[in-house]
Amino acid sequence: MNESTNRTVVHMDLDCFFVSVSRLLNPKLEGKPVIVGGGERGVVAACSYETRKFGVHSAMPIKMAKRLCPEAIIIRGDYDAYSKKSDEVTEIIKEKMPLYERSSIDEFYMDLTGMDRFFGSYKYATEVRKKIISETGLPISFGMSANKTVSKVATDEVKPNNQMQVDFGEEKNFLAPLSIKKIPMVGEKTYHLLRSMGVELVKTVQDMPMELMGNVLGENGITIWKKSNGIDNSPVEAYSEQKSMSTEETFEQDTIDVQMLKNILIAMTEKLCFRMRSENKMTSCVAVKIRYSNFDTHTMQCRIPYTGCDHTIIARVKELFEKLYNRRMLIRLIGVKYTHLVGGGHQINMFEDNAEMISLYQAMDKMRFRFGEDKIHRAAALSFSLRGFNPFNGLNNSPVKRGIKT
Amino acid sequence: MKFIVSSSGLLRQLQALSGVLNTSNPLPILDNFLFIIEKGTLTISASDLETTMITHIPVESKASGKVAVQAKILLDTLKTFPEQPLTFSIDEKTHQVEISSDYGKYKLSGFDADEFPKMPVASDTSTLSVSSQTMLQAISKTIFATGNDELRPVMSGVFCQLSKDDITFVATDAHKLVRYKRGDAKSNNEAAFILPKKPLTLLKNILTNTENEIKIRYNNTNAFFEIDNTTLICRLIDGRYPNYEAVIPVDNPNKLTIDRQQFLNAIRRVGIFSSKTTHQVKLKITGSELQLNAEDVDFSNEATERLTCQYNGEDMEIGFNVRFLADMLSNLDSTDVTIEMSAPNRAGIITPSIEGRKINEDILMLVMPVMLNS
Repeated sequence: MNESTNRTVVHMDLDCFFVSVSRLLNPKLEGKPVIVGGGERGVVAACSYETRKFGVHSAMPIKMAKRLCPEAIIIRGDYDAYSKKSDEVTEIIKEKMPLYERSSIDEFYMDLTGMDRFFGSYKYATEVRKKIISETGLPISFGMSANKTVSKVATDEVKPNNQMQVDFGEEKNFLAPLSIKKIPMVGEKTYHLLRSMGVELVKTVQDMPMELMGNVLGENGITIWKKSNGIDNSPVEAYSEQKSMSTEETFEQDTIDVQMLKNILIAMTEKLCFRMRSENKMTSCVAVKIRYSNFDTHTMQCRIPYTGCDHTIIARVKELFEKLYNRRMLIRLIGVKYTHLVGGGHQINMFEDNAEMISLYQAMDKMRFRFGEDKIHRAAALSFSLRGFNPFNGLNNSPVKRGIKT
Repeated sequence: MKFIVSSSGLLRQLQALSGVLNTSNPLPILDNFLFIIEKGTLTISASDLETTMITHIPVESKASGKVAVQAKILLDTLKTFPEQPLTFSIDEKTHQVEISSDYGKYKLSGFDADEFPKMPVASDTSTLSVSSQTMLQAISKTIFATGNDELRPVMSGVFCQLSKDDITFVATDAHKLVRYKRGDAKSNNEAAFILPKKPLTLLKNILTNTENEIKIRYNNTNAFFEIDNTTLICRLIDGRYPNYEAVIPVDNPNKLTIDRQQFLNAIRRVGIFSSKTTHQVKLKITGSELQLNAEDVDFSNEATERLTCQYNGEDMEIGFNVRFLADMLSNLDSTDVTIEMSAPNRAGIITPSIEGRKINEDILMLVMPVMLNS
């Protein structure tokens, strides 16, 4: 416990990153309300602080954003430029920081534990921030505290283009007056649930017994309670070779349609298998996850011989799902995960595989490479093209709400 | 009951038997050797219920009787003695065993011999005889290809197919397969059975020390091997062996011939640089050049070698597991080997080159490739 309370963790976040990069590319956008996103039916991928005053926020349909802020300039994103800029920032952080984690395109965690002996961590982080601003021209904010959660909340609080430190021991007091919405993990549904219980501020959660949160929200409730109390022992993890691959979907509406659930699982398995094969990988452990409408989450996994073949894994996934789904209750989320990934091709089995099947996979993969991942499917998976959430055209015709995370 | 036996003679027999003993047994009595003395002969047995091995050794004794003796303590003791006569005295009532050597006396508790499981009886059996060298070859050439999958027990053994013309031994783990046919071994009856791996390994050890013929008796449940003064009894694996003939492709237009030792050395070297979990190597054949390539992305290890070979067929690129290739090549003994292939996603067949084939021996090794994702 001592070790974790003495840590120094910095969270850095590039302020409305997509907008900032667009402004660098096109200085005319400076100081004007800007929305990055696209298409008539698209959604907001990012928006400048000017538009936020009008109530615009990311993931909002473009149409609604236009209504709220008619003056806004809507631009389509240039994803290549964004990742290039993000790489530049990463380079600087990599050079300056002893241990960093790139948690998304515009967010970084750094562990500065022990640096106090030499520089003074806060001073050092400030210098790095200044260096990033002067070298890349992008505004960036950071929060510093004893753990990842508090640092992230701190960054959110001081944005834009600012920095702050939450002193050791002050974590709880810092969080107390904030809305529970500020706690990472509290999404819209959880927020509504907590509000309906009369919980508005983090302080209320802090005063509640942990068991109560556990009863209401299961495992997640306990995690939220810990985070609300400024407890978070998760380490800053440096980038390492990908060891797992997963996808999960939360439904717009909870469902009990087993056939549909199975078809979605097939679509997920197929998609992950293709991704795995295109990275020349195989898995030896498959897991299925379901979350019931009351947030009870169950996962089950099984070991298999190394494979990259859809049909083998689909059979296992179905078996796992059948074992797992035994409560006849509405489901709000399902997911598939492959772990124990290794590089290499599938070892063909002389009795179970045949040359035609292998050729079929190779032909399908070739088509996907050439014409796109969604061009060829198993019939069962056809109606659920899990294209995922695409911020630039907003197309999302699957029955699910959130996109694929891998 | 008393008997006198040579310490090294006894140790040699017990060490051969000790291969049967498992480290953890369902029945505690199986941690013992069964001693039966009758008419100046000591019969020792060890069993794990599936496999039983029995051996005979002459002793000086007047009485007859039986007892179960703790295997580990007896073996450990005997190992420390130089050659000398040992006197065993057994108390029939308490089953206590007392060993007297030149140095002193050692007492250990024995158990009632009747607790020892009954041996399977060789009833309704058919018989054949095979030369020990033939059997030894058949075992060593096939056993490495057996599988370990508990879900497919039939593949954990060696399939023996007896016919009037020859005997065929087959082993496969679904990724590699060996078919070993001997024309100089024949049976009067047509029959087929699956022998488990463990007794075959034991048999292999016995066969390396003898030149005599081995007598095999079998029925529906057990096989009995008799050689010199030793009998090995094993339960057959129950189940249908997969139709292996169906997976051996007949039309393989691409034929590669290469020096076996040179190829094996290259495979082993390049294999060091392959992924530690998948052991994959890529063979790229263009004209008379064979290029081997392996890499381990996780550690940025990579190796490439070029070899010359004789090749008839289209240029191709095919992936294999290094360990399978190395196992197969080291279990062949011809100077050159031929690899026949048809397509990158179909089996490759390794055989000794025509010059290297022996009379009465037909060996075919099949290896499934790995999918190469372009």
